[in-house]
Amino acid sequence: MAKDHDYNVQAGEPVGVIAAQSLGEPGTQMVLRTFHMTGMAATAIATSGLPRIIELLDAKKMPSSPIMRIYLKESYSKNFAKADEVAKKISEIKMGSVMRRIVENFSKGKILVLLNSQAMQAVDLTARSVAARLSKEVGVTAKVGEHGNIVINTHTKNLKEVRGITVKITKAIVNGIEGAGRAMVVQDRNGEFYIESAGSNIEPVMQVEGVDPAKIYTNDLFATYRVFGIEAARNTLALELMKTLEDQDISVNDRHISLIADAMTADGTIQSIGRHGLVGKKESVFAKAAFEETVKHLINAAAFGQIDHMRGVTENILVGKQIPLGTGSVRLAIKNKESKKK
Amino acid sequence: MAKKISEKCYVHLNGKAIGHVSDPYAYIREVKEARRKGVISGEVNVAYLEKLNEVHINTDRGRVRKPYVIVDGGKSRLTKEIAEKLEKKEIDFGYLTRNGIIEFLDAEEEENTLVAMTEADITDKTTHLEVDPVSIFGFTINTAPFPEMNSAPRHLMFASYIKQAQGLYATNFNLRFESRAHILFYPQAPLVTTSAYETLKLSRHASGQNFVVALSTYYGYNMQDAVVISKAAVDRGLARSMFYRTYSDEERRYPGGQKDVFKIPPATTEGYLGEHAYSKLSDDGVIEPEMTVAEGDVLIGKVAPPRFLEESIGAGGLEEKTRDDSVVLKPGENGVVDDVVFTESPGATRIVKVRVRSLRVPEAGDKFGSRHGQKGVVALVVPHEDMPFTEHGVVPDLMLNPHGIPGRMTFGHLLETLGAKAAAMKGSRLDGTAFSERGAARLDEYGKILEAHGFDPHGEEQLYDGITGRPFKAKLFQGVVYYNRLHHMVSNKMQVRSRGTVQILTHQPTEGKARLGGLRFGEMERDVLVAYGASLLLKERMLDQSDKATVLICKECGTVGYRDYAKRVDVCPLCNSNRLVEVEISYAFKLLLDEIKSLHIRPQVGMEE
Repeated sequence: MAKDHDYNVQAGEPVGVIAAQSLGEPGTQMVLRTFHMTGMAATAIATSGLPRIIELLDAKKMPSSPIMRIYLKESYSKNFAKADEVAKKISEIKMGSVMRRIVENFSKGKILVLLNSQAMQAVDLTARSVAARLSKEVGVTAKVGEHGNIVINTHTKNLKEVRGITVKITKAIVNGIEGAGRAMVVQDRNGEFYIESAGSNIEPVMQVEGVDPAKIYTNDLFATYRVFGIEAARNTLALELMKTLEDQDISVNDRHISLIADAMTADGTIQSIGRHGLVGKKESVFAKAAFEETVKHLINAAAFGQIDHMRGVTENILVGKQIPLGTGSVRLAIKNKESKKK
Repeated sequence: MAKKISEKCYVHLNGKAIGHVSDPYAYIREVKEARRKGVISGEVNVAYLEKLNEVHINTDRGRVRKPYVIVDGGKSRLTKEIAEKLEKKEIDFGYLTRNGIIEFLDAEEEENTLVAMTEADITDKTTHLEVDPVSIFGFTINTAPFPEMNSAPRHLMFASYIKQAQGLYATNFNLRFESRAHILFYPQAPLVTTSAYETLKLSRHASGQNFVVALSTYYGYNMQDAVVISKAAVDRGLARSMFYRTYSDEERRYPGGQKDVFKIPPATTEGYLGEHAYSKLSDDGVIEPEMTVAEGDVLIGKVAPPRFLEESIGAGGLEEKTRDDSVVLKPGENGVVDDVVFTESPGATRIVKVRVRSLRVPEAGDKFGSRHGQKGVVALVVPHEDMPFTEHGVVPDLMLNPHGIPGRMTFGHLLETLGAKAAAMKGSRLDGTAFSERGAARLDEYGKILEAHGFDPHGEEQLYDGITGRPFKAKLFQGVVYYNRLHHMVSNKMQVRSRGTVQILTHQPTEGKARLGGLRFGEMERDVLVAYGASLLLKERMLDQSDKATVLICKECGTVGYRDYAKRVDVCPLCNSNRLVEVEISYAFKLLLDEIKSLHIRPQVGMEE
């Protein structure tokens, strides 16, 4: 029977290099296989494959296609109608997508918004609710006028200000939570309902009635870090990497990915892999100089009288010493008589 | 109100507006008619651009133009009677262009046309007819048989391989001094030709041979794109070629009246290569024809004045110093001097050209390609007795792995195999021009010919294993394919090195074949050894086999010092200490320390026992 320690990595094993190679090799294949998404509906295209991996390893502040999975409290998750109600509260709808036309009356300082009744119906919105939300978001008095249109009084006749308000109105959110994107109710395998949305802004979503704040998931690393802490961010990072690779039918051992996620989050913040992150934090001057911005690192070292302790791989190859890894990690620890005399 | 400018139809001549017309269609018709009647030059092209409402007339140079048969009223102007006359050579192509039967269109005028591929495709909207459907391919691709049976990328690949094919590039190759040239010993015309191939008369300087090809694996020696060839065929001259290389040199004149001299350099010359190297030169300092030469031999002996003026004056002017500037045979090459020529440059300096020839017998590592973008490298030259054979004793010249066919969709390769086999049995060459006949009809035609000569109509044959003598369980597809020998050959590329030359600056091994260089152990290779944990192997590669240097480093201040051999002490130039230790470091690191010092930064090296 295999024992636990049989699976342990031996001391001196260059796990980092192996992890980098294990992720790098399939990465070269991904460059050659980006055609696979062609023909899919434009809305369904989420950043995947190599661009997504790069995004994760570069620790971008916001993913280019953010996603939330919102789980509900028990009384909501069993009932579609109730779950849908929560989804409607979250789902982000902009004025621009439910209106037909916007007419400005500069002499009276009024703006007339002609609504698209079909679009309104599709998302279950009434002119009244839209008007109310507009008043709050833009800070104007919006009322429902003739033919169900919205009449807005800007309380100003300044041309520039009216036009500014028009622009604000078209961009205003008339329903849901900013950044949350379109939210939809989805049923999982156990028959329970949860919400998937094509945007991410978890802080306000957690406040929504019916949402289970402990179970909300987002692919936005930094939001996870802010709300749930570094451990959760590490798990999200590893999970997203694994999922992206899996989608491309590439199998990389989870341990390599875990190691990368650990390395990126080890100091309690999220660091990118590259000169602004992990490599930039290397101890050795030579290792940093060998990577990027050679002159900058050498000048800094000279100015501050830095010492390279020759503990890494790059700097030891540079001077021609044995690297302190693998067979080179072993040292003789016995003192002989002569050295005792000193 | 006057018409808006954009509503007027402007006429542009070679991009310059010259006026406007009210009815552009009628105007264009008029210009074309005049051109067809020969009233204006046939090189004039006229186009109406509907979107811009502009007429463009182009008469300038540099337009690519293509001939089309004119069609009017749903009828081709190239009637049967005219075609017959053309066949009988009563009229020529010029007659067709002069009499408005064929006209040349440029890219702009083509936009206004509807071209029918064949006469059967003509409708009443058709304005032109293709001269021949093959014209959708270029000249190069049309020299290959059955291009319509292959996938498009393979055409491009064939077009680039054919440029590398060895053949009879010129019949006066004996008189030419090409810097590099290959001459195929027994070029053959392909058994399956095309109209383009015949029109270009390429069979007069063919660049390939008809190989008997079996579509079969051979004990794993033809995996991927490797091929296996028969030793017996090679011995009989299959794909044998001669390689010529010309070395040349000039007696240059220098400012100050000095000049180069062709002669056997005296032993006092700087950079003298040793008596042996010059032993094959004749008295004039240049090698004689038909002399066998090997690596390191001098072909042209030349002495040059020293590079710097002081050196020539330095020795008191008694004897002028000279520098050896001889032309040596390239490393890894050998052969026989084919011809030597003396000429003169426009500046009245003497020029010598020496052409060396050497035989290139096909061997493992040489590259071959068919006319269907199917290339392969010889992996094994199999002795005759080990090759498979048919009951008639036919032994294939080349064995191609069948896995290379379906993925690349080069059906033309298979069709050529069958067609050339039929042609070989029939005793006359067959036509494989694009679109000339439907594929199925061709298969039937070739099948019938093969059947009439006692072969399987599908080209399959029972072969016997040359090693065991047993019949193969499956029949093999065997036929004839026209193969080109491409000019990438191992003997011109192979190079080995254990120790050798190093660069002056870094003390690292040189790069490249011409400089007897090593192969780069790069960053990714380094990573592999790091990942494996082979620290001593890595050190050997990066240090011991590269730029190992032993330097003295001061124990007190950590700077690089030196050994004073006269006083037998080690000296630190900075702190005058004599306590220095020998340290093995890479020369690149020593160089880095020197460069940092040149920036007025003092690096210090600390050491542990």
